[in-house]
Order: sequence, then structure tokens, then C-alpha cells
Amino acid sequence: MSSKLKTLKARKFVSLLKNRQATFKAAKSDLPQINDQATVIARALHPKRQYLTVESVTERGEDCKSYTLIPDKDRGTDSLAYFSAGKYLTVFENIEGMPVTRAYSISSSPKDSLNGKYVLTIKLVEGGLMSRYIFDTWKKGTKVEVSAPSGNFEYQPLRDAEKVICIAGGSGITPFISMANAVADGDEDFEMTLLYGSRTSESILFYDELKELESKCSKVKVIHVLSDEEKEGQWEKGFITAELIKKYAPSDEAYSIFLCGPQQMYSFVDKELEKLQLPKKYIRHEMFGEFHNPTSQDDYPENIPEKVKITVTIQDSTYTVEGLTNDSVMQTLEKNKIAVPARCRSGECGFCHSHLLSGKVYVPKALEYRRMADHKFGCIHPCCSFPLTDIEISVPVAK
Amino acid sequence: MKTYDVIVIGAGNGGLAAAATCAKNGHSTLLLERHNIPGGSASSFVRGRFEFEPSLHELAGAGSPEEVGSIEAMFLRMQADVQWHKHDSTFRLIVPAKEGDKDAFVNENGVLVTVDARMPVGFENFAKKLEQLVPGSYKSCMDAFDLSIRMFKAFECLDNPKQLPGSIKDLPDIMRMATHTLKEGLDALGMPKKAQDIFCTYWCYMGSPASKFDFLYYMAVLHSYVKNGTGIPHMRSHEMSLSLDKVIRKNGGDIWYNSEVTKIIMKNGKPVGVVINGEKEVYGKYFICNTSPNAVWNDLFDLKDVPEKQLQMLNSRKIAASLTTVYLGMNKTKEELGITDYSVFIAPDSDSDKQYEVCNDFNSGFCIINCLNEIIPDCTPKGTSQLFLTTMTFGDVMKDIKPQDYKKFKTKVAKDMIETCEKALNISITPYIEEIEIALPPTFARYLNTPWGTPYGFFLEKWDSMIPRTVQFAQDQPFDNFYFCGASQERGDGYGCAYYTGEKAGAIVSKALKKEGK
Repeated sequence: MSSKLKTLKARKFVSLLKNRQATFKAAKSDLPQINDQATVIARALHPKRQYLTVESVTERGEDCKSYTLIPDKDRGTDSLAYFSAGKYLTVFENIEGMPVTRAYSISSSPKDSLNGKYVLTIKLVEGGLMSRYIFDTWKKGTKVEVSAPSGNFEYQPLRDAEKVICIAGGSGITPFISMANAVADGDEDFEMTLLYGSRTSESILFYDELKELESKCSKVKVIHVLSDEEKEGQWEKGFITAELIKKYAPSDEAYSIFLCGPQQMYSFVDKELEKLQLPKKYIRHEMFGEFHNPTSQDDYPENIPEKVKITVTIQDSTYTVEGLTNDSVMQTLEKNKIAVPARCRSGECGFCHSHLLSGKVYVPKALEYRRMADHKFGCIHPCCSFPLTDIEISVPVAK
Repeated sequence: MKTYDVIVIGAGNGGLAAAATCAKNGHSTLLLERHNIPGGSASSFVRGRFEFEPSLHELAGAGSPEEVGSIEAMFLRMQADVQWHKHDSTFRLIVPAKEGDKDAFVNENGVLVTVDARMPVGFENFAKKLEQLVPGSYKSCMDAFDLSIRMFKAFECLDNPKQLPGSIKDLPDIMRMATHTLKEGLDALGMPKKAQDIFCTYWCYMGSPASKFDFLYYMAVLHSYVKNGTGIPHMRSHEMSLSLDKVIRKNGGDIWYNSEVTKIIMKNGKPVGVVINGEKEVYGKYFICNTSPNAVWNDLFDLKDVPEKQLQMLNSRKIAASLTTVYLGMNKTKEELGITDYSVFIAPDSDSDKQYEVCNDFNSGFCIINCLNEIIPDCTPKGTSQLFLTTMTFGDVMKDIKPQDYKKFKTKVAKDMIETCEKALNISITPYIEEIEIALPPTFARYLNTPWGTPYGFFLEKWDSMIPRTVQFAQDQPFDNFYFCGASQERGDGYGCAYYTGEKAGAIVSKALKKEGK
């Protein structure tokens, strides 16, 4: 056999090696830059941080405000990252020494970001730390730090139906305002029927904007559903039930359901959706939001102490703090002024991925997005892990 | 402040293997990773009720049910706990017929094709199947495997010099294989062209076609797959990465995530430390770097400190291929979809060089479709399955795409790839997509920080392939206390290659530290 191979020259091997080094030696010695478009796009869409300034504040009723944010060139942000409608920004704040983060859906159109504008619409949450702080301190000129646009709540034409019933509750309207704008701008292509639940016509957010979008774009249709008020005309009274969805959904073709609202709305509407027996692929939820009161869950174990010790190692520093079992590991660390990586705070994005070195935690089922190997090797998401015993954890540095 | 024996930059497969090796050998080791989890490409992600494998196609190094493979052996050696699934398949190549193709026929899927080759495990089986597909190819195929068998024996002898004299007669052939291209080698063995095309199907795993790639390295790769079949970890590659993370910690090593090295601290012309996230300094004696040399010399060093040869190396090598992958969570089983193979290579032309040429565009008709359920039936919930489709591109193929057009563009690319698969297999995919994620070169650039987002390192050509890179490894390293590992090094892309280079760099550093009396 090898006789055939003998037609190839073995001795060339030596020159192969020599030539390789000679090729290197003959080459230029300037530094090739990394400026290919794949890298340019990656950097443009996923900046590590965006430094912004509040340009204006719009009051929306007594407990809701829209903040228009523009790039802060002095701190190195020249332009805003483009995004798909439905994405959120994580806001980083420092409240009396406590590093705090919250995720807010962008309510402005993706197109606006090209003109250097994001809008975050924030509702004051009863007892809410961040919303209270933002309400009290964000004014024209306030400097703000946010993440790159993040999240998976967006329209995907290869997956979703061409007709989408969007179900919003209260301030859960924000991503849909962005989506409706994206549809009107031609950025997204689907037919959007928005069922928007509010208490009364007074408490509707973006009423005028929605009216304008409807008149401007035939693909956007809005139905207001009022729980506490009866009104004549194009108004629905009550809650968003299976019957109501059926009334506005196409009867003879597939449709997707997109949901965004408070946790109580999810539990109500999810039960209604079961009656419709839609394939899972046609139901998309925005993130659950921060979880409170784990002890109220059916599967929460018994005889858990009220307080535990949390020992946390971040790089070469170790701290031991005391925390409540009713608070997530992340909340306890933040309350103790220890910054931890945080984005979605709903268990979904995995950004706070950490190692549980000893002890036990409780993770609510609705927020269980860990990978299989995370279970095998004891990894947790501190944002939705509640300590059941004293625990030791290793957490990446905040970013 | 503590000075570490070894600082490893980047927790990709290479960095993990390097840090595990150093930690196991008792050296104080710090592994730094800019992301929040280990693995680089070796990871996983969750969408809805699916957990996706981001990059791993198959590991020959997982061995066969009868035999421990090289990667499996490394995990055993390190006492890293991974559950393997081993499967006796290699690849199926389908080349849909073009208009006017004379030798076209209708295959079992009812598709008009010119090639449909489902190749089995085992040298004899493989050669017999090739003979069946292309009469007159058996002998040359067995001759090629005979060469690779002797080549592997000779490699073993390099580790065990007592056996070397017995295998010295094989050296000239091995040098021939290293010096000539895959095409030259197969021509010399007299393999019919059509059989060569099927034989060369795995070219894309290394990203270099038959006329450029060396005969030796291709035979090493094909030999391993044909001998062992396919191996996959049970919990996606995230299991492999976390198992090594655990080995490092258990052996006293430190791992800091979200800790990006932003500068190398130099003293007297040598690296002595690193700056992390632009603020924290840590010092070390040895450095092992599992990141792209392009990024290292651009971002971590002042130009005056970069050895001239390293710049010349960057300027004389080509960036290898970048990948595009579409991950699909399906609300139908593989049987309902009509999928019968783990790995199908769909190509617009059977010739690897022609495949390489069309990969200057996303819609090339070149696509690999994998169905993980074929190997791990319960890797998705009952009634569902997961697919991933892969294509490769060379060059700055996105140069006209603006960030704001990216979503529409990548949806179009995914649509074309899905249609390519639907047509080639005569199946329906689109209506059953429950979850979809699309990764184009920017996605890989974001996670891997390489030009074009290449996971492959530098283009492998015969002048700069495995053997010359291995022989000249020492003289190609930038400082005597700073070693690279990973896809940019001796073996190019691949999990096994990265683990190998990491373990090797770890062993070199460990030996040097022991010599210093540490």
C-alpha cells in the first residue's frame, strides 16, 4: 500500500517547518485591529453598561411616570443600543449605600433609540424601594446607569402566529407600547390585538398614545377591559377571561397570546388560557417579576427558622451576614450593602448564577429556570433562592 | 497580596483543563472568566421547557461503549463527574440533485439526490459501505485507515520511547501525510473522486477543505469518529464545564467569574500580573491564556510589549470560519417529524472545496442538522424534541448589516436554513417550532471575543496545521511564563483539541514550577 503513497515526498516535511517560520518572519508586524462587522454588531447591541441622563419626566396619573433617557456622552455613551420591542433595561442604583437593581420594560419604540431616546415608564409600587427612589430623585439631568437591552419577550415570526392577542395588566402595558410602535414603524410585522386590563378608565396608562397608534396603523387594535367601571361603547367590563379572548381572537386561524402584567394576573389568566387548550408555543409570558413570601407556597417546607446566616465569597473577599428566610439571598446581600450581579430578578436570565457551597435553599417552581447540571453541581440563582438553613455561597463579582 | 503560581485567563475548555491540571498538581491557581459561567462554547441555555446544547456536535474522545476515549480518560483522570451517552453513528451526507444531474436518484426520503451516504462505525464497515456507494473505493479506504492506525501507534510511541524503534519504519509515511493535503493523499491512494467527497465530509469540523487541509490531521479526526462513534454528555456541555469547575475548587483552586482581565502587568519585559475589570490587580508567576491572540494583543498589552513575532503570526494567518446556529425546540417528536439520524450534512455540492467556496454567504445550502433526541431520547419533555442547525461562513460576511437590521437579517438566515433542511429531508419543521434561538457570528463574537466570532481560531492549512504547530509550539509562545491554549493553538477547533492544549499547557507550567522547587 505505502508504495502508492511513496509518490508523495516525505522530505518536504523539513522544508514545511522551515517555511512556516519563514512565512512568519516575512509578514508585517503591525497590529491587526478587530473591527469586523460581527464584532461591531455584538458591541453595539450588548454594551456592558449604558450611561444615560434623564431628559424629561412625564406624569401619567398620580402613581406612574415616564422617564425619557438620552445618552450621556461625558461618561462614554455616545449612542443607545438598538433593541427588539419587548426588551427590558436593568436600572442600577445606589440607595443609601445599598446597591439595588430593577428590570423595567422599555416603553418607547425601537426606532426612537436610533435618535438617542429610551423611555422607561415606572409605576409606584406600594412599599417598593426602587420605584419610590426613582419617583423621588429622578429629575431632568439626573445621571442614570442601565444595562444593555435584555430579555426574551419579543415577537419571533418563525415561531409565533401572524395574529397576536396581547394581554396587559396595569403597568404591564409598557412592552406592548413598544411593540405597537414597532408594528406601526414596520419594524415588526404582525397583527396586534391588545386586551388591556385597568381598574377604571381613569387608571389607563397611554390612553391617548394607544388611540393614536390605532388610528395610524391598521394592524393595531386596542380593547380596554375595566374591572371596576362600566362604560358604554368599545369598552369591556370585568376580567380577561377565556370568553373575552375568544371574542377577539380569530376563529379560523392560529393566534399567539403574549402576556405581561402583575403576578396575580398571570395566575388568573393562565387558568383561563387552559380552557382554550392552545399549544404551548402560542403562549408567551413576560418574566414573572421578583418573588415575595415564599412561605405561602404549597411546597414550602415546615419548621424553617426566621433568620439564617449567609456566608458569601466574592473574588477574594468573604462576608457573613444575617438574613430573613422570607427574603431571597440576593435581597439579603443587597440589604447588607453587598453588590451582586443582577438583571432580571426572576430566575430567568441566569445572570446571578452562583455556587451553593453548603446549606439548603427553596426555589419557587414558577422561577425554576436552572440548567440540569446546575442541580447536579449545586448552582443557584440568588435572585429566586430563599435560604432554608445557614448557607455558604460563592457569587461572581457584580457587573 | 498573594501571588498565584498560575493565573489562567478564560474558562473555556482549554482554560478549565489547564486550571484543573495545575490545581490538581498542587499549585495555587486562579482561573479568571469574564462571563458568569464556565465553558465558553461548552455551556447550555434554557428557553421554555427546553435546555439547548449551544455548540457540541459530537465527541469522538468520549470513546465507545467498549473503550475509554481520550476525553473520557481526561475526565476520569481529573475525577470530573460526567455521564456520557455513546452512540454508534458517524454522519449522513445528503447532496440534493441540481437540474440536469445525470446520476440523480430518489432516496428513502423521496428526495432527488446525487449523494445519500449514511456511514457506519468501524473501519471495515465504513469501507464496505463506501464500496457499496462508489464501487472500487474499498481498497483505498482501508489503506487510508491502515495509515491512520499506524499513525496513532507511532504517536503512542512518542510517549513511550522504548517502542519507538518498532514504529520508525512508519515515520516517512507519517511525514508524507503531514506534508501533503488530504486531496493529494487520497489521490495517491487512488480513491475515486466521488468516494473522496463522502470520505471528506467531516472537513467542516476543522473548517478547512480537502485541497488545503493536511492528510494527517484529517485522518486523525476521521479515524477517531469511525472507530468510536459519537459521544455526548447527558446534561449538555454545561455538565462538562461545571464538572471541571468542581475539580478546580476541590483541589484548592480559585475561580472568579465576571472577572475580565483588562490588562497584563509587565515587569522587565515579562508578564507578572493582571488587572481585573480595570481595577483589581492580581500577581502570578505563570500565565495560561485561553482567549483569542487577536484580542490579547489588541486589548491587554501595550503595543511596545507585544513580541514582534506574535504580530507577524497574526498577519500571516487567516481567521478561520465562523458559525451560525439555529436552536429549535419542537412540539413534535423526532418520529413525528420524520427524523431518522443524529447528524445529517446537507451540501449543495459533494466536493468539500466547493462547499468551502459557497460558505462566503449565509444562504449557501450548506447545513448540518442534528437531533439530540436520537442519542438522548429524553433530553426534552415527552412529545417534543430539539434540533440544531449549523452552517459556517468565512470572512466579514455581515459587513453590510447594521445593528438595527440584525433581527430581521438573522430571522431570514434561520428561515433559509430551515427551508434547506425541510427540502433536503422532505420534512416539515416550521409549523412545530415552540422555541427558537438564532446565533449568528455576532452572538459568537459576543461570547467568545474572537474576530468574526470564530470559534475555530486560525485557518488550518498544511503549512500551519497540527503537526507543524505542535513541533514548533515552544518557539511560537510569546514569553517563557505565558502560554496560549484553546482553538487558536496546535489543533484548532474542537472540544477535545481545546482540552488537550489546556492540559498540555498546564503540564508544562506545572513541570516548570516543580523544577523551581515549588
